[in-house]
Amino acid sequence: MKKIMLAAIAALALGGSAMAQDTVRIATEGAYAPWNFLDEAGKPAGFEIDLGNAICEQAKITCEWVINDWDSIIPNLLAGNYDLIMAGMSITEERRQTIDFTQNYFPPDPSKFASAAGTEIDFAALSGKRIGVQGGTIQATYAEENYAADNTIVTFTTADQAMADLAAGNLDTILADGAYLDPVVNASGGAIVFVGEDVLIGEGIGGGIRKDEPELKKTLDDAITALKADGTVDELIAKWFDGRGPFFAQ
Amino acid sequence: MIDDIAFWFGYLTNGKHLTWYASFQFTIFAALMGGTLAVVFGLAGATMKNSRFFPLRLLGTIYSSIVRGVPDVLFFLFFPLAFEQGVEWLISTQVCSPAAIAAQTAAWPPCKEANWFLGTTEYLILASVSLGLVYGAFASNVIHGALRSVPAGQLEAARAYGMSPRQVLWRIHIRQMWVYALPGLSNVWMLIIKATSLLSLLQIADIVLWADRLGAPNFLPAVGLVHEDWRWRYYLVLFVFYILVTWLSERAFEAIMRRAGRGMLSEART
Amino acid sequence: MQGFLNDLAIMAPAVMFNIYFAAASIPIGFVLAIFLALGKASPNPVINRLTRGYIYAFRGSPLFIQFFMFYSLALSLNIALWKPWGISGFVLHPLFMGPLVLILNTAAYTAEIFYGALRAVPRGEVEAARAFGMSPRQQFRHVVWPNLIRLAWPAYTNEVVFLFHATAIVYFALPVIGAQADLMITAKTLVEGDYNAFLHFSVAALYFLTVSLVIFFLFGLVYRRLIRHLPTQPRLRFAPRWLR
Repeated sequence: MKKIMLAAIAALALGGSAMAQDTVRIATEGAYAPWNFLDEAGKPAGFEIDLGNAICEQAKITCEWVINDWDSIIPNLLAGNYDLIMAGMSITEERRQTIDFTQNYFPPDPSKFASAAGTEIDFAALSGKRIGVQGGTIQATYAEENYAADNTIVTFTTADQAMADLAAGNLDTILADGAYLDPVVNASGGAIVFVGEDVLIGEGIGGGIRKDEPELKKTLDDAITALKADGTVDELIAKWFDGRGPFFAQ
Repeated sequence: MIDDIAFWFGYLTNGKHLTWYASFQFTIFAALMGGTLAVVFGLAGATMKNSRFFPLRLLGTIYSSIVRGVPDVLFFLFFPLAFEQGVEWLISTQVCSPAAIAAQTAAWPPCKEANWFLGTTEYLILASVSLGLVYGAFASNVIHGALRSVPAGQLEAARAYGMSPRQVLWRIHIRQMWVYALPGLSNVWMLIIKATSLLSLLQIADIVLWADRLGAPNFLPAVGLVHEDWRWRYYLVLFVFYILVTWLSERAFEAIMRRAGRGMLSEART
Repeated sequence: MQGFLNDLAIMAPAVMFNIYFAAASIPIGFVLAIFLALGKASPNPVINRLTRGYIYAFRGSPLFIQFFMFYSLALSLNIALWKPWGISGFVLHPLFMGPLVLILNTAAYTAEIFYGALRAVPRGEVEAARAFGMSPRQQFRHVVWPNLIRLAWPAYTNEVVFLFHATAIVYFALPVIGAQADLMITAKTLVEGDYNAFLHFSVAALYFLTVSLVIFFLFGLVYRRLIRHLPTQPRLRFAPRWLR
């Protein structure tokens, strides 16, 4: 009896994973405009959603979007709650220890510091400052390694929360992806400005997958290569990042 | 003026807000299902505590004291994960070949065929079960006390009437127990309602997650209405929502207690 | 076994955060609760309504939402610009904001307990005190208060234990400063590393249980002192009636 029950559970699970082969679940954060956000209709939208759908079309696979908080997005990938992460995740050596990446679909882009206008920050001897970052990002790791000794690193769950604290004066500066900050600084009408020098970290943004899935990796890589070649990726970057780039085409 | 009203009406009924309103279903489902399960586990726990068989009695006592001794949020995070891993381990004993296990690089699951996908529905059910387990421990205490509050004379009268022990238990003891248990159970129900605010910790896109997403400052016209940090307004709505639910539940429990107390001795209404 | 000992060592500093949150909020919450309980019993309609409303609101809504609401509210009110002693980021620091919200919350629960006890103070003793010519202040100090605290202590003990449990969600709701992490965050991070949920959550649970028992023991000692003059000594039982 017990054996039969186990077999039934196993069959159920097998059925589940067989189905999962046809549908690729893509996780995104939905709070990192313009890469990914929830639009007025409450659906995921943005550069990565357009690109993800294009990749799925190219590779002839069905895709389904899943919203997952950033701080648990890698653990839940490993736990098998979805198959692919497209959430503005930079490719780094550190992350490569736990997950695999597709080739990058967004070129390496400098990270920048932003502050409220009029904030005086001496980056040569940065000390006693409150630096906001989103937890689990390359910027968080960078700030932790370089500034933690003399400054306070404040970690937020989403980038927007860090932005809100900066706007309210609870932070001296925040460190984030340049392409995330660009439109925010532009839209702030001079209230928020870039400060200091850009920092180049990461190898561009790629899709995160589990390590044991070479077929999926190949399928996705092939699709991204094709989309890069026919200019779709650059078109989408131009569409979502105000035509500013960075682009793959030289 | 009219334009303003039309604008705000439009804003508050856009798809993002409608999704927020719709997400209340998760909270309500978790509360109702968690509440029902809490009573079931509570009855089971109380029966075990009353058992004449010592190991069962011990098990009942351990269940209700351990679960009450740790924070609900710890159990809430632990149980779904532990359950998932348990199922995956069961599957792995059936489907994993030694080669597949050897090929597995990640720490879990044992092999990738044994993976169990969890979506919102599965998480919601697991969340409800953990609510049921946690607050079942509280309910078992309440029910245990209520079972002992039923006047012994009532049970003796039933026995003298020739009822079998089973009949005494179900027709007299448990039937009358409710009146004594209701005040305590209403307290447990209030706890469950408040604990449903934790659903977002299990990756369920619930009212709290949407309040954060809707209220977060937006700078990009492409994303939607450009506004500053409005989160506190959305959280205020949730704050008021929970107070209203508490108020409604209190009224409902009062009505039920009045109804359940009909025909009982006045000493029953404590 | 090695993993278990490792976890014990890793979580030892983490539990200090939970203890800090509880220790910082309990004394202030206790004092605030006395005033709230007196307010709820006050015949003055304004004070009465206000305190009733406050107690109802804070007991009727989840602490989790209260954390989010007060943090974002403080941001919007530009409270960050207020810098006591020139320390920036003081008010919105989780080590300040956490206890603040916990105080507001526990004061409401504790006030409800005290209010219940206040109504249970034997009328005869109060009347005797009045007949004795005691002023209202003296009546409270010498008759009402000793009775109240003795009646409320068992329920208050449970409230303190549950307040300690409630510290588990502070860092789920507030931004994390540097490498500070309480028990839950530490346990969660460890689980996300190696998926050994049974080990890491059990160790965290063990810490919570241990501290709960210590609280229980200490409050039991106080209770023994409070009831030392009574002929029959009721025992403190772990039977929460007022729950968060």
